Amino acid sequence: MQAATALRGRKADSGQTTGRRLGHLLLVPTALWTVAFFLIPLILITVFSFGTENLITFNVDFGWTVSNYAAFGSALYVSTLLRSLALSLGTTAACALLGFPLAFFISRQRPRAQRALLACVIVPFWTSFLVRTYSWVNLLQTDGPIDRLAFGITGHHLQILYSPASIAIGMTYSYLPLMVLPIYVALERINPDLYAAAADLGARPWRQFRRVVFPLARPGLIAGIIIVGVPAMGEYVIPEILGGGKTLMVGNIIVGQYLDVGDYPFGSALAVSLMVILLAMLFALRRVQPAVEPR
Amino acid sequence: MLRRGTALALAVPSAAALLEACSSSSSSTPAGPSAGSLAGTAVMENYPDWMGAHVVQSFQKLHPGSVIKQVSNSSSSISGTVQQLKTGDFDFGLADVSATQQAVDIGIVQPLDWPKVPNIKYVGQSFRTAYPHGIPTDYGKIGIGYRPDLVGEKITSWHDVWRLAPKFSGKIVFIDLDRDCMGSTLKYLGYSGNSTVPSQLTACKNALIQIKPHLQAFLGVNYGQGLQDGSTVIAMDYDYDVALNQQKQPKIEWVYPSEGMVAYIEGWIAMKSSKVLPLVQSFMNFALEPKQYADFVNTTGTAYVEAAATPYVEKSISGSAILRPGNAIGKVEFEHFLGSATALWTQVWDEVKAA
Repeated sequence: MQAATALRGRKADSGQTTGRRLGHLLLVPTALWTVAFFLIPLILITVFSFGTENLITFNVDFGWTVSNYAAFGSALYVSTLLRSLALSLGTTAACALLGFPLAFFISRQRPRAQRALLACVIVPFWTSFLVRTYSWVNLLQTDGPIDRLAFGITGHHLQILYSPASIAIGMTYSYLPLMVLPIYVALERINPDLYAAAADLGARPWRQFRRVVFPLARPGLIAGIIIVGVPAMGEYVIPEILGGGKTLMVGNIIVGQYLDVGDYPFGSALAVSLMVILLAMLFALRRVQPAVEPR
Repeated sequence: MLRRGTALALAVPSAAALLEACSSSSSSTPAGPSAGSLAGTAVMENYPDWMGAHVVQSFQKLHPGSVIKQVSNSSSSISGTVQQLKTGDFDFGLADVSATQQAVDIGIVQPLDWPKVPNIKYVGQSFRTAYPHGIPTDYGKIGIGYRPDLVGEKITSWHDVWRLAPKFSGKIVFIDLDRDCMGSTLKYLGYSGNSTVPSQLTACKNALIQIKPHLQAFLGVNYGQGLQDGSTVIAMDYDYDVALNQQKQPKIEWVYPSEGMVAYIEGWIAMKSSKVLPLVQSFMNFALEPKQYADFVNTTGTAYVEAAATPYVEKSISGSAILRPGNAIGKVEFEHFLGSATALWTQVWDEVKAA
């Protein structure tokens, strides 16, 4: 009897071990992908960033110099970095302000309506990114629909195209679904009984939102902030199209160094610097998060 | 950056009607090696569709076994082009004079055996001088397109553009490419469009920063499109773009600025790594044959370098004083390779953009 039990136990252990091994095997493709297309390129960029390049022959000398990083401290790059920071923070804030109410509204609908509304958020993004961005040129240009509306109301032309404001509008439009979806997921998980319980305890709608809904949706909001804020910081296509080449962002400088100058070491140093700054901001966000968690 | 993106988008439809006519004239016998003596595959680095619609097909038909394979490069940046050519994957490629000189300096360009390319005689001497390491195919002048009916006075110089900028603030566009925009600004200041003198580049930066608040935009595509409806009244623009817009809005005028202008020149260069040089040279020679070259001009709508091709070129192009080879070429300074000063130009350009 004991032997049979031990045998069953060993079989069970063996089954668990096999399951764990299979589980680990399933990780292999993802791990290989991550190493090949994330880790190795990241290491290469970091190594390149300490090199120097002959701009005539494009030969790179890996002399481990920090001169590329020193150049990043010049007024040109610092001011560009600050401009990128301001635009990405503005975009992230605008996405949060627009995205939270929208996600909240969607999450309070019946399931079928929720699906339809989510489709409305997502479907426009099946169109090419470039087409959508260029469509904003038509919408924002002088005598375009938005300008005509503004002129009809105020008697003044907006002249908003090719300005930082038009970049912010384009970026907010492009990144909004990335904010809406994680917030929606967080809101959708809230047990509806909590609303009823809060109401029973005398909480008015605003208090319910402030003390129940918002704290529970905060992880989704923070995820949205990260998903929007990080790519917004390195954005370079939207500023090129909607900024009319008049607003330089750090992404544009990095692209220029890689594609126009061919200075891979300096471009890599700029990219690594931007990555370090973003990582610092993410760690800061992580440190802030527990402090504001509801008790 | 692409100098041609818009040109192709606009030019191809307008030239499409002519392609059929051209096809009937593009099967003439080329000069050079005898038909059928060549076989193999030559790989060419090229812009998308930057080739006469029937040139490759006609050549391959004439030389059974020969294949011209085009690989498109999405960028016309100098470094992008040179780095592609440096890979050794190409037998020949399209490159502007700056990229060509850099490729020569690196040692990857194969000097052509000119007796094997006798049709080079059809190319104007000024273009051959400006593009000595390969066969010149096209060029583009950077001048001024404007609407005299809206400006109310005649523009003759870059000085006029800077002078009128405050009056037409927000209705002026410049080209979003450092070589062309800064080169034109240097001409405005009376300097060489290829200057590498730091003080002159600083003056160039200041002039651009001075006019920047009055610019609607630095545009990378559709430079002069706003001239059609008047949303732009003055544009720093390419000759081909002004010519195209002129077809839709006859009130647009082109100016050869009195201070002079810069121009890019492009052509085909053979690569040292090529193992099919006879095929490459034969194809180059074939493409320079006036009827074949006209096919290229009609397909792309570019300003052209072979006066002998004029009879076969579409009237809308050959009849355009902007595009046909003419005496205005004397006012042109072709862009050269800047060498290590490329980084300085890029930094000045970034400073203008960031200001």
